[in-house]
Amino acid sequence: MRPGAAARRNAREFVGVAPALALVALVFVLPVAALLLRSVLEPQPGLQNYAEIFASATYLRVFENTFLVAALVTLVTLSLGFPVAWLMTIASPTWSGLLFAIVVLSMWTNLLTRTYAWMVLLQNTGVINRALLGLGLISQPLPLINNLTGVVIGMTYILLPFMILPLHAAMRDLDPAILRAAALCGATRGQAFRLIFLPLLASGIAAGALMVFVMALGYYITPALLGGAANMMLAELIAQLIQSLLNWGLGAAAAFALLVVTLALYAVQFRAFGFGAMREGR
Amino acid sequence: MLLDYSRLGWLRYALTGVAALVCAYLLAPIAVIVALSFGSSQWLKFPPPGWTLKWYRALLADPDWLTAFLTSLEIAVIVAVLSTGIGLMASFGLTRGSFRGREALRALFLTPMVLPVVIFAVALYGVFLRLHLNGTLVGFVLAHLVVALPFAIIAIGNALERFDVAIEDAAVLCGASRTQARLRVTLPAIRLGLFAAALFSFLASWDEVVVAIFMASPDLQTLPVKIFTSLRQDLSPVIAAVSSCLVVLTALLMGAAALLRRGRPT
Repeated sequence: MRPGAAARRNAREFVGVAPALALVALVFVLPVAALLLRSVLEPQPGLQNYAEIFASATYLRVFENTFLVAALVTLVTLSLGFPVAWLMTIASPTWSGLLFAIVVLSMWTNLLTRTYAWMVLLQNTGVINRALLGLGLISQPLPLINNLTGVVIGMTYILLPFMILPLHAAMRDLDPAILRAAALCGATRGQAFRLIFLPLLASGIAAGALMVFVMALGYYITPALLGGAANMMLAELIAQLIQSLLNWGLGAAAAFALLVVTLALYAVQFRAFGFGAMREGR
Repeated sequence: MLLDYSRLGWLRYALTGVAALVCAYLLAPIAVIVALSFGSSQWLKFPPPGWTLKWYRALLADPDWLTAFLTSLEIAVIVAVLSTGIGLMASFGLTRGSFRGREALRALFLTPMVLPVVIFAVALYGVFLRLHLNGTLVGFVLAHLVVALPFAIIAIGNALERFDVAIEDAAVLCGASRTQARLRVTLPAIRLGLFAAALFSFLASWDEVVVAIFMASPDLQTLPVKIFTSLRQDLSPVIAAVSSCLVVLTALLMGAAALLRRGRPT
């Protein structure tokens, strides 16, 4: 290609990117930057918003609760998702396809529909409590909603597919011959699991766990509907500070804190496993 | 042995047991909601004491639900079309160009997908309040475009990467202009990618609730916003009826996507 041609070609390709760039710059980057600016400018310039957030026991409890919920949900989705992903990898194509379809159907079902379902199931007069009462296992309804239990059950439900799919992808890429070789060399099932299976899956597990953890950190709708006042998470706090209390400075500071934590976790993942692992998580 | 079902031993039963429980966990809530939408109990008693269609009748009788449905549909269709178009142009640039910063640009375009959406929602709310775009169709479309674009760029980018550029170049050598070659050779070849981009963009907008809560006004709200505000009041069985309709819609779209995958040349 002649030297001028490459430059012309690049100019042409860049023109194609321009609409997307304009959209993302004007409707995404600019508003987010403006929001972060407000955290240090309102009500007056300075860092008092951050000081207020990190000095207040109420707000610190929201942070603590956010991390607690995200950690619990990650733990539960990992322990439920690992066996499912494993079975999905080794079952016959029919069964594996069926499992896959169930996971994807649940993932694609409207988020509010799924949250509503759990509100109905978990309430005091809901299906679960009525069944347990009917069986005589409990004498009064268990508190399953408007508390940590409800939030963890509902969020595990919604985030489980995001754990199963990356784990399944990691297991599918694993060569069964390696495990056969281990067996030939005399490894027991436990040894093969501990010394070969888990280490080879480490990056897949980390990708899925981090994905779920990060998504859980920023969740708004499900914890807002299934949790109680004592279980407020960061996203709900941000929404409430801004939409109900009109405290833009404080809300923006809380948003910035969430942004920094999220980006830091992505950076860790990027460092450890590259960009591919991050995209696989979708 | 660990990746061979027939040689798993007792582990096989453990795995199957957990998987069966997880499937029940994933499916039961949806099944219960569909059953309750036909149940006669106002208080969502399960199993329902009797069967009725009155919640569906109530749903159809309330014009607000229909309006919200049509608003959602309108926004999602516009977003799907624009997102596919903008995504297509951007994907050509990202896969074919060799200008500096392409990778950074791609990462920037995908960022809205991986950041907590509540941050974007309040940020946009602040700007749109000043521009009086809150509660307008334009505001909704712009907001949802940002959410949908990453899906379009991924779907079309993957399709373009699988397509051999030499075929497009051959058309140019045969006398077509670059634009003609793209429109008449490349586009038909990547049509499944375009279709996937449109489908995912549609769904991204259709299901989006967090940004929509901030964009909505009493005069203009999408279906998810209407469901959310109703949920805050009570757990009326009418919501079960709406939810069941959405479940059916999801299943239909999934079926369409599965057919698409089957039709894809590998």
